[in-house]
Amino acid sequence: MSSSINKEELEHLAKLARLELDPSEEEKLLSDLGNILEHFKELQELDTSNVPPMAGGTDLKNSFREDTERENTNRGAGTEAFPESEKGFLKIPPIFE
Amino acid sequence: MANLAKLTIKNFHDGLVAKTFSAREITQAYFEHIKEREPEVGAYLSLAKESALRDAEAVDAAIAKNETVGALAGVPLAIKDAILIKGLPATSASKILEHYVASYDAGVIEKLKVQKAVFLGKTNMDEFAMGSSTENSAYKLTHNPHDLDRVPGGSSGGSAAAVAADMALGSLGSDTFSSVRLPASFCGVVGLKPTYGAVSRSGLIAMTSSLDQIGPLTKTVEDNAILFKAIAGKDPLDATSCEANYEHIDDATPGDIKGFTIGLPDEYFIGGLDNDVARETDAAIEKLKKLGVKFKKISLPHTKYAVPAYYLSMPAEVSSNLARFDGIRYGADPNEERAKNLMDVYFKTRGKKFGAEAKRRIILGTFVLSSGYYDAYYNKAQRVRTLVKNDFDEAFKDVDVILTPVSPTPAFKIGEKIADPLAMYLSDVFTGPANLAGVCAISIPTKPSSSLAPKELPIGFQLIGKKWHEADIFNLGRHYENN
Repeated sequence: MSSSINKEELEHLAKLARLELDPSEEEKLLSDLGNILEHFKELQELDTSNVPPMAGGTDLKNSFREDTERENTNRGAGTEAFPESEKGFLKIPPIFE
Repeated sequence: MANLAKLTIKNFHDGLVAKTFSAREITQAYFEHIKEREPEVGAYLSLAKESALRDAEAVDAAIAKNETVGALAGVPLAIKDAILIKGLPATSASKILEHYVASYDAGVIEKLKVQKAVFLGKTNMDEFAMGSSTENSAYKLTHNPHDLDRVPGGSSGGSAAAVAADMALGSLGSDTFSSVRLPASFCGVVGLKPTYGAVSRSGLIAMTSSLDQIGPLTKTVEDNAILFKAIAGKDPLDATSCEANYEHIDDATPGDIKGFTIGLPDEYFIGGLDNDVARETDAAIEKLKKLGVKFKKISLPHTKYAVPAYYLSMPAEVSSNLARFDGIRYGADPNEERAKNLMDVYFKTRGKKFGAEAKRRIILGTFVLSSGYYDAYYNKAQRVRTLVKNDFDEAFKDVDVILTPVSPTPAFKIGEKIADPLAMYLSDVFTGPANLAGVCAISIPTKPSSSLAPKELPIGFQLIGKKWHEADIFNLGRHYENN
């Protein structure tokens, strides 16, 4: 298992995460991530082959409710934060050139 | 006029209904004290004076009409900036939310509004609750009220400092791995991390959804129980919230603790523990022994794996939760030049407006979730989380509560750990396991702030309780502070 990330991988990850990084940030990130992954290698010494993963914080299996009409005072809330909107829809810059 | 330093939620209520003072007078007194103290402490990101005074007046009007008011009516509270209050800013201390104004109330705020609590303002924090010192705020530093050269702890540093500096009577923070208990310990106040699911997360700007819990910070354990009871309960807007029975948690007389057994885990009393922390923790244990509590050595063998498991699984949730911040929907910067296309908006605003720690976690999260690494890192960390939880399940077969230090050191100096993320992460080594296991835990000052020697820093000890057993740690804590 590789315990470091190289520059090329970092740039790919930044692209996936939609982050523009400047060169000095990249350098600092490469060294920080290397240190963090190196330090956390100790997890590998644990045998977890028979241990189920714990993904959530609760023992609840499913949480159902009736799908009925409810009073809602928040309808349309959020649109006031849009830079531009029309009839409750968000206006954004073009997706394609 | 009441002395703010001596005011508690409990005696505020008594004075209010006895008409010794009005809610407006006290709220006004807090704003005057904030004017004096805030410039050197820096606990708040924004104040809400107008609405606070108006809400306090409404409480006074109800009392004038001899209406019965609840335990939190008129109580001036400070709220972490990650928690939404309709109409007020909620930046989560990030530049990417600089222009965001909350469009709805968080579940906990709705409950507190029904109780007629008063909100003084929104408090400083590490950006998106990522940090242990509040130094990751994009806006300002918060200074520890006991020593201005030191950090208040984090991420809910502003909420802890506000209460410690008498700039609020109580506050709300959120705790993902340490973020209520660590600042409570560093600032000498009481801080609770409730059982996962006890308190609604609706309207809490998410960092790690499977661990985040909102918790109260107060001057006394008794106050903490009052505030906790008010915010606990199922909320249809948070599917992970549950209804638990907290009926007697804030009774005037705390429940009996004789015959209680407290576990002391070997893994938490290790070399590297600061001398003052070791001495103060021992003193707390001795005091509890005198109250008739039994102690027993136990083992939580996977303790040392909790930090690595957290720092490999938390970023995965961070990278997903922070994906919603696209530079558009939550209040765009009006001065920003319009980008040429949508993708450009994403890259530029996210690159420019997220701080270094947020970016570090987003990248790490994207990495551990990417194909080829998912099993080695993310899935491995989730399996280790199960082992940490199993440790607690085993231990709680033998003991009722577990006692540990909150942090290996008292409050450290501003700037001391900020350049080394790994050193900062290790501040949370004693608090994080309780989050991974989903159990409740509280930080209680070993002694009241009033009895600290000059230059002495506050130190907290931690009581970890079984799931849904907040009553146990509150009862122990209340007997501790009453004796």
